[in-house]
Amino acid sequence: MKTLISKYDQLNWVIIHGRGVLNTGHGSTLTHTLATAAMLSGRESYYYMRYDDSPERDNIPMIFYTVIGNPRIEITLHEEVEPVGEIFNAIVVMEPTILISQTSQRALLFDGAKKDAVLVVNTSLSPKEVIGLVKKRCLAQNWSGKLVTLRARGYDANIAFPLLAALTKAWKVVSLDDLVNALDFSGASSKAGVVRKVYSEVEPVDVRISAAEAQMTRARKSRQTCTLKKGKWDLNSYRSYQKAAAKALSYAERISAMPSWQALPPGLIEFGPLPGEKNVGFTTSFARYLRPMVNKTKCTDCKLCSLYCPDGAINFDRVEVDLDYCKGCGICARVCPSKAISMTTEFLAAEGLSEKEIVTVEDSLVEYGY
Amino acid sequence: MSKLKATSKTVTTALHKKYMWTGTRAIAEAVKLADVDVIAAYPIRPYTGVMNSLAKMLANGEFVAEIIVADSEHSQFEIAKHASAVGARTFVGSSGVGLAYAAEPIIVTALGQLPVVAIAGCRALDDPGNFGMEWNDVLTFRDHGWLMCWARDPQEALDMTLVAYRVSEDRRVLLPHFVAVDGAAVTHVSTPVEPPSKDDVAKFLPAYKPLYPLDPAYGPVTKAQHIAPSLIGPELRKVVDNSMAKAEEAIQEAWEAYSRFVGREYPPFIESKFMEDAEIALVTMGAYAKDATHVAARLLEQGVKVGVMRLRYFRPFPKKELVEALSRVKALGVIDFSYSFGSADASSVLFNEVRSALYESGSRPLLMDFMFVGGREPSVGHFEQAVRLLQRSAEKGKAEKHVLWPTLRSEGS
Amino acid sequence: MSEYSPIKTVGDVSSVDLYTSGHRTCAGCGAALGYRLLLKAAGPRTVVLGPTGCMYVANGHQFLSSPYAVPWYHTQLGAGGAAGVGTAAAFRVLMLKGKRKKEDVNVVVYGGDGGTGDMGFSGLSMAMSYDYRRFLYVLYDNESYANTGVQASSSTPWGASTTFTPSGKIKKIGNARMKKNVALAVAAHPGVRYVATATLFPPLDFINKARKALEADGPAFIHLLVPCPKGWFADPKYTVDLSKSALETGLWVSWEYENGELTLSYRPEPRKHVKAYLRMQKRFEHLNDSQIEEIERMTAKEWEYWKQMDKQRKIILPWNAPPWA
Repeated sequence: MKTLISKYDQLNWVIIHGRGVLNTGHGSTLTHTLATAAMLSGRESYYYMRYDDSPERDNIPMIFYTVIGNPRIEITLHEEVEPVGEIFNAIVVMEPTILISQTSQRALLFDGAKKDAVLVVNTSLSPKEVIGLVKKRCLAQNWSGKLVTLRARGYDANIAFPLLAALTKAWKVVSLDDLVNALDFSGASSKAGVVRKVYSEVEPVDVRISAAEAQMTRARKSRQTCTLKKGKWDLNSYRSYQKAAAKALSYAERISAMPSWQALPPGLIEFGPLPGEKNVGFTTSFARYLRPMVNKTKCTDCKLCSLYCPDGAINFDRVEVDLDYCKGCGICARVCPSKAISMTTEFLAAEGLSEKEIVTVEDSLVEYGY
Repeated sequence: MSKLKATSKTVTTALHKKYMWTGTRAIAEAVKLADVDVIAAYPIRPYTGVMNSLAKMLANGEFVAEIIVADSEHSQFEIAKHASAVGARTFVGSSGVGLAYAAEPIIVTALGQLPVVAIAGCRALDDPGNFGMEWNDVLTFRDHGWLMCWARDPQEALDMTLVAYRVSEDRRVLLPHFVAVDGAAVTHVSTPVEPPSKDDVAKFLPAYKPLYPLDPAYGPVTKAQHIAPSLIGPELRKVVDNSMAKAEEAIQEAWEAYSRFVGREYPPFIESKFMEDAEIALVTMGAYAKDATHVAARLLEQGVKVGVMRLRYFRPFPKKELVEALSRVKALGVIDFSYSFGSADASSVLFNEVRSALYESGSRPLLMDFMFVGGREPSVGHFEQAVRLLQRSAEKGKAEKHVLWPTLRSEGS
Repeated sequence: MSEYSPIKTVGDVSSVDLYTSGHRTCAGCGAALGYRLLLKAAGPRTVVLGPTGCMYVANGHQFLSSPYAVPWYHTQLGAGGAAGVGTAAAFRVLMLKGKRKKEDVNVVVYGGDGGTGDMGFSGLSMAMSYDYRRFLYVLYDNESYANTGVQASSSTPWGASTTFTPSGKIKKIGNARMKKNVALAVAAHPGVRYVATATLFPPLDFINKARKALEADGPAFIHLLVPCPKGWFADPKYTVDLSKSALETGLWVSWEYENGELTLSYRPEPRKHVKAYLRMQKRFEHLNDSQIEEIERMTAKEWEYWKQMDKQRKIILPWNAPPWA
């Protein structure tokens, strides 16, 4: 039965991406201030961290939402906002490596976005470089919206405030005055200067990308679908379900790869890998924004790095990093007795791009005043 | 009231030996006959006798099983759940607040679809402490996927336990099973019980073979991981729902098979007495159906057309059979040993289930709820009064008051 | 201790992971590292019970995903001991009755400090009072209920900030209870065959203790300190550094207890001042110098007891004047 009423019609919805612990404080400040700004201007507004990500976990992408009513919010917001359809008017990316990995739900960045969405990215890359990455990595539809890039840390250690100003400049749903009022209300009046400065300096650009230009669309069209063995639920049929779901390039595809209830056995049964295999149902490269580089000449093959990887992502025999699973925690670099491992940014290693808005957890914790 | 059916093919001898056993002792015998592998024990009145009996049997080598004295009912039911997951046939049980303490594993066992069989020795819940009989302790779990049956006497308690293993372990079902026995009335009164022979039981009850044993010899089964409901959620509940739906046919078949192999016959879902011409009916479960039947028989002699229906299963609730049996009844009284504070009409659990089952049926008899709560024992006088009240109400076409507490001491009554 | 001999070099550790890559744990998660090492020690003929906690929710939370290459079943937060006993009992009796082939099967419970030291304490005690062999309970101690968002447990140290014991304007100290010693409580159970404490340093210590524990003639328990980047607010890369520092400062004592004898596994000589460890973690950031000195005093005092135990090879219960005395 086709439904006529859309849950999201009357709402202004901002989705904010960051990494767990790294950006928790920034995200809380950002959403709280934005929602307050909307509230002070007479609109009903809510904000929350996507509950499913709670507790947020170090480096794992996480999501915050701010929802602004028009002027009322007449639906219930549930933690499971599936990025399917056209929901988000604005996307804010607090940690730039999310542009080249995946979001918290292992979705593409633009899944669930409206076609005229505003994208705000904390990055030292140019708009042109960002557009190139968007085409390559995270767009599976056409996009005709606005893009703002800025080096948030160049303005303030707490990146929430520069990002708010940039969003306000590009999006117009919340005005600069609303934002400054919200800062006063929240006891952050000292940040008004930063906010005004960023507002005056950032320059949103119009972007038009057709679906045909988006490599993700092409990738999705060209991949083969996996035919599932229905009937008996055993390790083999389960594996084929796993592999089909793992191929999903968007959240909608992941959901459609799930079995219907009739295929399920009684007793909440799944199957793990066989010894020697890894979990094909869940890769974790999306947690990585720093990448370990192994200098083979310095390596003495002591295997401490492999032993000490919490994710088992360093091969024991060949001392090679499995990029499907490495989260870039940096333990391997710390424990290596011959200093053969150093951490570089994922941006440099994967895209050859020098991204300067990369910060460690250590420094980030200082940033949002913990 | 059980009929011995000697057929030449299946039942080995015409007369089996009878013993004077309490309900708990009788259930212990069933557990032994079923060759249960793991038993988890913890003491609380009035169910404890079953564990005392089993401990003695095991100490004497009458059968082989691991019996673990747990540190609490919470651990007790958890032990049973995990033993079942590995592939052991398990037995556990409790009463009153002990069942309340075990709530977490009780719920999880059903949702994990493990065929654990448990005795519930029905006892009034604290506070205050009370050794009297009420059904709420086990009825609390009525929504969570356990099969539930009520035995009228130790004989049926034994039979129901054996059938419970067969139904629970049926691959169409794979749900845990409470065998409820009224505290004191069934748990502690010794009555004649005829246990089936080990051979007959072996023919009736196949070995327990789990679909996905938690055993490295089988493979890397991952059971009950935390899930994301956008991916899977309602589907998992539906599997349980479907298994409960299949339980009806499994129950039917199991009692037919029991009759064939063991020689004792029961109507699977509802035992009815004098219902053919009844205009008034009493519905209940467990031991007191006997008293209700005794009253009905005497009133019949006086020309009162009253019948009695004893629900043997509460889950799955036998709606179809109930509706059919009540098609000509004008007034129905539920004899209910439970309460449901704050429910519609401040009534009780069985009453609400019966009322709900009858809502869409063509005939809607006048309903009255006779609540026997607080553990005070009812007398046949209460049941006779109930029938008189039902009669009067049927004549008037309505009941003055349709929720009553017959054993309550109250001013002005 | 029939077949146990310690692994001497990292190269001799099994290369096969039975807790495999592919879980949604924090980058640098100490508990995940502990899980990985534990299952390397246990080997494939193992059943694992996972009480609710980080090592439940973070390892799943999807569908069609599992990192466990051995049979694994969830159990409730306080039910780890009971789940282990039920599992072990089933294997024993099925083998005894000829319903299953006779062979050694390890039963391992990996439960957190909240579920084990608090809610599951009575079930743990029950499990330690039985005689199941190849039965190991590992308590992974990240010193909080981390999965629910870092709330205080009875294993949270004095002065730590958690979301139930935050430092504020009036109540400044954070957690005001002293950390309970679960391992010593377990050692008081007469039937227990092997008790140990460990952390993620030195590299082979925990793996060897787990292997030894599984060869014991009865129930075994290991209390494993696992640094927690999120809960302790430290950078993920310092997880192993923190383990080392905990030992060097004496804030964590690594020992083994079997056949009535206690042996220290690590002797910090000289013991470093606790501030080296505390200042690496923002959960202690609110402590002033005198509070840190209080922690140093308590640690030094307790360490005297451990020195005595080391000399006498016996357990002597440490007693400390609590900070509020």
